[in-house]
Amino acid sequence: MEILERFMKAIEGIYQGSGLMNLDWRNYVMIAVACVLFYLAIKKQFEPLLLLPIAFGMLLVNLYPAITEAPQTTLMSAAECIKTKGTTEGYATTVMNGVTYYNVPHYGGLLYYLYQGVKLGIYPPLIFLGVGAMTDFGPLIANPKSFILGAAAQIGIFITFIGAMFLGFTSPQAGAIGIIGGADGPTAIYVTTKLAPELLGSIAIAAYSYMALVPIIQPPIMRALTTKKERAVVMEQLRPVSKLEKIIFPVIIVVVISILLPDAAPLVGMLMFGNLLKESGVCERISKTAQNELMNIITIFLGTTVGATATGANFLSLSTLKIIALGLIAFMMGTAFGVLFGKVMYKVTGGKVNPLIGSAGVSAVPMAARVSQRVGQEENPGNFLLMHAMGPNVAGVIGSAVAAGVLMNVLK
Amino acid sequence: MDLMGKFTISASMLLTGFVIVFGVLFLLIFIIWLYGTIVSNAQNKAAQRKAEKELKKQKEIIAEEKAKTNAKPVVVNQPGKYETGVSDEVIAVISAAVYTMYGSKQKVKIKSIKRQRTQSAWARAGILENNQPF
Repeated sequence: MEILERFMKAIEGIYQGSGLMNLDWRNYVMIAVACVLFYLAIKKQFEPLLLLPIAFGMLLVNLYPAITEAPQTTLMSAAECIKTKGTTEGYATTVMNGVTYYNVPHYGGLLYYLYQGVKLGIYPPLIFLGVGAMTDFGPLIANPKSFILGAAAQIGIFITFIGAMFLGFTSPQAGAIGIIGGADGPTAIYVTTKLAPELLGSIAIAAYSYMALVPIIQPPIMRALTTKKERAVVMEQLRPVSKLEKIIFPVIIVVVISILLPDAAPLVGMLMFGNLLKESGVCERISKTAQNELMNIITIFLGTTVGATATGANFLSLSTLKIIALGLIAFMMGTAFGVLFGKVMYKVTGGKVNPLIGSAGVSAVPMAARVSQRVGQEENPGNFLLMHAMGPNVAGVIGSAVAAGVLMNVLK
Repeated sequence: MDLMGKFTISASMLLTGFVIVFGVLFLLIFIIWLYGTIVSNAQNKAAQRKAEKELKKQKEIIAEEKAKTNAKPVVVNQPGKYETGVSDEVIAVISAAVYTMYGSKQKVKIKSIKRQRTQSAWARAGILENNQPF
């Protein structure tokens, strides 16, 4: 009889602790959202390397919210400690009002510890290290004027800031929302952790979703703002860039930006460090590790923990809807201003610049450059804009880091 | 925050962002253009000096060899089989390369010049990439 009672008690305990008792409807909605993201990542292959870990983090946290729980210490009297833990040995003591209490620790959930890399701003610069080690800045060095397009595409960030302010967000929150327009996931996460950590889940998911949707969002804007003649412009071949120029480039960029905007130094510094590892040619092993193993490990940690911030209670709110709408506006604005400045360059150079490369100024490397190439080839199948678009594209990475530095400096 | 306060913050942020982002990136354009020009010029000059030096050295060697052996240069008596599209300059370059390898002491005759049919550069790059780890 006692065996049966114990058995029933155990079953009841398991049932009480299960998701069936502890999850509310919002968790189930978020589980459905995670499944939609799985579909987009696996079937549609929209940024699967990021979307899949994000979706899985989202799924995990909504099934088992304690996976992100912070560690706690409970003060127990000797009797309580013996009752629950069986002993008082090994626990630190605290004396209050003459009574000795034992500090019984409750360790945090797995994703709580992994999340510290996001919270402390460690993962985004490490991702930038890998990005730097993978990026060829040659097209930008060959045509430094591409920086203008990289700067133009950042205007969307500041215009969205205004929209967010008037929609009721505080100025730091508005800055974090605006940075979605930079179309740079690590930068968006880095800025949000510094300015508005409470919005991290919504902003990260909006930023990565829009980056994944670059091939869908950008082309209609590019076609609407350009004429057939402009889209068909074939650009002159870029000059070859020497190894020495490529080695000097990261050093100069990091010196200039770190002196002028120290807040951008962690991001730009790691980006350029990665690039110097690659271009120097003397650290091949480290460069390959930064490009592959390190980048992949950080992507897993970053993706799952960012996804885990999207709990039902946090995510299903009016502010998330506003963020998603503002993020889309920021992204579209960035694309539009890039193309418009491309048109200005087309006029100034007497038709030598194809305005389509301007849209690549929104970072999202190399997807945005590929979109410029694709839209250009629709008009002229013999036109190869990819390398020309890579200039503004990598300039956009530096531009969004500079914009992030401005936002952090002014708003924090 | 009232409407005027929001407007003030928004306008100042827009202005600050616009000026600083464009200012920094324009500065970078100037710096990259400047060092690009300096490095290119320096490298071009160095390459030119090296080429001149090489040419001078080659002329000296040829003159020396001529004086030593007094040998006649390789003479092509009859034209070989040259693929269409191979210009006289290319034939001259190949002849010069052959001469450099064998020198004037050996009698060498170029009978034909054919373009080698190989895979495209992309295909070769792909094979190289796949085989490199092994």
